[in-house]
Order: sequence, then structure tokens, then C-alpha cells
Amino acid sequence: MINNKLKKTYTINELKGAFLFLLPLILFLLLFILIPIVGTFITSGFRDVSFLEKKFIFFDNYKTLFSDSVFWHDFGFTVVFVIVSVSLEMLLGISFALLLNQYLPFRGLLRAVVLIPWAIPVAISARIWELIYNYHYGLANYLIMQLGISKEPINWLGTNIGAFFALVLSDAWKTTPFVTIILLTGLQAIPKEIHNQAKVDRAHFFQRFYKITLPLLKPVIVVALLFRTIDGLRIFDLIYVLTHGGPGGSTSSISLYGYKYFLSGDFGYGSAISISLFIVAFALSLLYIKIGRFGKEIL
Amino acid sequence: MVNKNIVLLIVCITVGFVGCEKKETNVITFSVGGAPNEIVVWEKLISEFEVQTGIKVNILRQPTDTDQRRQGLVIALKAKKSNPDVFLMDVAWLGQFAASDWLEPLDTYVKEKDIELDSFFTKVINLADKYKGNLIALPVYIDAGLLYYRKDLLNKHGIKNPPRTWKELLNYSIKIQKSERENAPNFYGFVWQGAQYEGLICNFIEFAGSNGGGILIKDGKVLINSPENRESLEFMKDLITKYQISPPNTFTEMKEEEVRMFFQQGNALFERNWPYAWKLHQSEDSPVKNKIGISSLPHFNSGKSVSTLGGWHIGISKYSDAKLQAMEFIGFVTSARIQKKLTLELGWNPARKDIYLDKDILQKLPYFRELRDVFENAYPRPNLPFYTQISEVIQKYINSVLAGTVEISKGLKETDVKLQKVVETYDK
Repeated sequence: MINNKLKKTYTINELKGAFLFLLPLILFLLLFILIPIVGTFITSGFRDVSFLEKKFIFFDNYKTLFSDSVFWHDFGFTVVFVIVSVSLEMLLGISFALLLNQYLPFRGLLRAVVLIPWAIPVAISARIWELIYNYHYGLANYLIMQLGISKEPINWLGTNIGAFFALVLSDAWKTTPFVTIILLTGLQAIPKEIHNQAKVDRAHFFQRFYKITLPLLKPVIVVALLFRTIDGLRIFDLIYVLTHGGPGGSTSSISLYGYKYFLSGDFGYGSAISISLFIVAFALSLLYIKIGRFGKEIL
Repeated sequence: MVNKNIVLLIVCITVGFVGCEKKETNVITFSVGGAPNEIVVWEKLISEFEVQTGIKVNILRQPTDTDQRRQGLVIALKAKKSNPDVFLMDVAWLGQFAASDWLEPLDTYVKEKDIELDSFFTKVINLADKYKGNLIALPVYIDAGLLYYRKDLLNKHGIKNPPRTWKELLNYSIKIQKSERENAPNFYGFVWQGAQYEGLICNFIEFAGSNGGGILIKDGKVLINSPENRESLEFMKDLITKYQISPPNTFTEMKEEEVRMFFQQGNALFERNWPYAWKLHQSEDSPVKNKIGISSLPHFNSGKSVSTLGGWHIGISKYSDAKLQAMEFIGFVTSARIQKKLTLELGWNPARKDIYLDKDILQKLPYFRELRDVFENAYPRPNLPFYTQISEVIQKYINSVLAGTVEISKGLKETDVKLQKVVETYDK
């Protein structure tokens, strides 16, 4: 069906050219995405433990996974983490984008500055936050004690809830700029005339935001959500540096759990964990694409 | 024409990614990580080795982090790569590497090269470097947990000797912490490694072992539910919450380096750490320079002192295509002359007993005399292929106990069930 539609719109030569231009990308995706995924899926069907005899066990690894309470804990943690951190990032992102879309003094400079956290590698920003949260000489404890909020320093990473929000905050600091920039480009694509017209009709700011900005921004919001959700599900580096899954394993994510199996030589089970993460991410992507109505005419 | 170019491009990319496997066999690749100063020393040693033997050694440099060093090796060995030929391994992975059949047995080489195994610590060789009767690695340096203490502060309060029992450590800490806090509000009695990582297991083995407990392996079972362990865990927790002589961030942030820096800044009376801390504590700009002493760890009233065995071992990949040359290199690295050099330059603790009585060494590192006894009795972690999974379960549990999110007795029972699951999965 698509083929017929394409053939109607373009000549054969144009299609050939298009395919040629897409070829590097297709090859890249095959080589670095599809082959590893298929390979991981195949490995997940084996008892592939470096110190045991390799054996094909069909879906036994997945059966074990279903009854593995640690996996479900880490799965739950990851999902809750994504929901909380992505919501926060979207909220902050929209606010910043609206702000940066106004005529502000030094707007160009501000737009560049906002990007700085995004430009810092996660491992490094995680180290920065580690120092901020540090019990003895961290900035957070210095501030709350100077401001008289608390007399005693707080062990931020010491409780399950504290460690969770410490991670959320660090993640939001790092990735809100990304959301901001994506949304900002979306905002700039909204024609000024529509807003001006609405102003003539005496629509106030919130009415214009809900009736004009938000609906027109929807495709861009979905793109930002898609990127952030997938990224959030894969969360590894921040946790690896900041809490290493502690205290008592309460902040361990699916990726961290899978990684530990690869380290200890159980490639089969580690692969099953990775595939389960892939399935969740893939399903969510499809859902977003449906919501965002990509491939259909926008506007 | 266009098509030809594309084919060429693809070929180039493929070759670029696959790379070239080395062919010559008079070249070996040595995979090693660590602090920058350690790499500098390795480079010096290697150029000496190259002149001496004519074998070229390429260094495959790894990060400092233990997990990442392991990851690099696991990937290469799983892929049966002939590179690296020879590498360093943490004692905690030796079981897995050996059971995976990734390590070349060294017995025949050792005999041919006349390497005297008797000059090494017997316990280290037998419990760490042998797997199913085969010698699969040799120790490059070893580690064991030690108690560092502030001599000046103990003297100030009229205490002559470091604590022999945990009770003494507790009493001294409470007393001195109280008086020191008048000037230094951040002062704590005792710092140790309680974060959720392998170091926590090492600390646990020392607390529990000195109470007659530990990780019990019996009849194909791995168990930790015992009255001795319960008592030790309670004590570990009480240090933080009840007596408050260990800081609240013990179970979140305290790893080797955090503990070392805390003690080095003069903020603690006692410190549990590996021997490497000594040289740093005694460096020129250290606030505790010449104020500290070293001793074996305390024990519970009924037990005796236990130090967990750590350290790094050198072995040869089963897939190496230059095993003889690699063995030559192992012989060189573990020789008395080079071991002495490593000790003098890096403060490492050799696994060769004779070096602890060497005059030059004792002059520069006087505490070595006491270390020999500690190492002779160091306590290894279970040498099981699936030790990592065991450790993972126990780490999580102990860290939860310290965080106060799990009740000790209930957690001990549950942990045993989880450990049993690990054994059932992997002990085949």
C-alpha cells in the first residue's frame, strides 16, 4: 500500500536515489541495533554461564525472571523513576521553554547557558551531585545548616526515599535542558499571527496556552517524551556513580541488575533482563508514535 | 562506478571495525589498570623486561575501577580473543575465571622456570591461586584489612596500646570522641567501609570472623544465618545508630577512599582499611603524618582477629597465542627482585614471605614486620565460581541492616533462602 502511494508520488529514479541516501543509515541500524538485539535474544534462550556447560533452555530464563522478586523490584523502581523524573522534566522544560521564548534581555546567552548541564557527561554530573549530597562536606548540608533549616546534617542518600529523590533531582538537572530546547523549537514554529488573533479576541494567557500553544506543541511534546522515557528506562550511569543501587538495593534499576549478571558471567540471564527492558521500551515507543500520529499529516 | 565506491567504503568500514589481529608471537599484550603512578611503574618494569628478554609487551590500559577492569577482561575472554595474553585479576574473581576455563594452568611452566612456590604465603597460593588442584595464577600483591589508629590521641588519654577487642575499641572511641568533639564537631571514633559494594563483604567477614562466624559453606550449602553473625551484625549497626561512633553515611558513602580521606583529615580515631592507606597517611601533606599506628583488627571477647584477604593476581589467558612469552613475563613480575621494587615504589605488599624480612624494606616500611603475621593468617572469601552472586545477595542484605530497613533475624533467614537459590542455579 505504501509502495503504491510512493510510486504515485515519485519516479523510480527518485526512489532509487532516496534508497541510496538511506542505505548508510539502514546499514548502521542493521549492524549496531538489529544484529545485537537478535544476538541478545538468541543468547537469552540459553543457559549461557561462563563456568557451566552451554545449554539451550527455551524460555527458562524468562520463567525465572517472572518469579525473581529482585527483578520485579528493580523493574518497579525503574518505572516509578521514569514517571516521576520525566514528569518533573516535562514540567520544568515547558516552563523554561515558555520563558526563553519571550523577549528577554540576553536571550541568546540564556539559551546557550541552559544547555550546559546537558553537555556534561552523566558520569561527571553524577560525581558533581555526589559531592553536593556528601554528608560531611556537601553543599546541600552546608546550605541547610547555614540557613538554619536543620541543626544536624542530613544523610541524603541514606533512606530509600531520600536516595530516590536525590536521583530524580540529579536526572532532572541534567536532562531538563534537553526537553527545554526541543520544546523551544516547537514553540518557535507556532505562527505569531494565531496568538495575535487570540489577543484581539481577548483570550488571556492561560486560555491561549491551553487552546493554542499546547495543542500545536503536542507533536514536539511527544518527541521529547519519547526520548526521555526511553532514556529514563535505561538509567544506569547516574545510579552506578551516585548510589550503586543502595541503600540495600532500593535504587537498583533494570540496567544495573542486568549489568551485574554480565559481570559475573551469566550472559543468558543477563540477556533475558536486557530483552525484557527492550520490550518495554519498544512497546512504549509504539504507543508514543501512535499518540503523536507520526507519519500522518501534522496540522 | 558509484557502486564500486560504495563497496569500497563498506569494506573499509568493516575492516576498520574488525581491526587487525596481531600475528607475531614475540609480542604479548598485558592488560592492567590502576592509579596513574602505578601505570608509570609498570611501564618502567616493562621496558626493563623488554631489554632483558627481547619480548615486546604492549600495555592494554584499563580504568582504576575494579568492576570496569573485570568487565574489560570478561568481554575479551568470552569472545575468546587472543588479546590480552596476560592480565591482573582481583582475588574475588579468580574462582569464576578459573571455573570458566579462561586461565591457562601454570604448573608445568612453574616447574620449568624453577619458581619456588614455597617462598610465597602458603595459604594464599592454596586458597586463592589453585583451582581443582591446578595453579591458575600467581599473586602480584596481596591485601588484608588492618586497623589504623591515632597514636597521639590514645597517648593523650593515657592509653598505651591499640584496642585488642571490639569492646575496647568501643570504649576508647566513646571516650575520645566526646572530648575531641569539643574542638572538632565532625570527629568520629571509628570509620570503616559500609557502602553497598564488595568492600562491605570484606568488613563483614572481619567483624563476623572475629566472633567465630562468617560465610559458611557446608554440604553444598552457603549459609550466613548463625547466632555469631547476628551478634556481629547487631554490633556493626550499633556502631552507627546506638553508639554513634561511626558516621551516619557509613552505609551510603564510605568506601576505601572516603574512609581514608576522612581519617587522613584527622577526623577519626580508628580506621579499618587496606595497607595502601599507610603510605598516603604518611605523605608530606597529610595532617596525620607520624601520628598513626597500625595493628591487626580487634576481635570479640571469645574470638580472634580476622583480616580479609584481598589483592591482585596475574594469570594467562587460555586463548593467548604467546603463552611461553607470557609466562616469562609472569616469572619476571613475581621474582623477588621485581617484587621488592614494586614494594619500594608503590608500597604494595608482596606475597613473597622473604621480602617482609628484607633490610631495605624494613628500613623504609617498618610496619612490614607486623604485616607478615596478618597476611599469614588472612582469611579468603569463598573461592566459588558463583561467588559474585553470593556476594551480591549478602551485600544487599547487610547494607539494608545498616540502613535500618531490614530486621536482622528475619533478614538472615530470608538471605539464606536467597543464597540457596543462587547455589541451586549455579552449582551444577
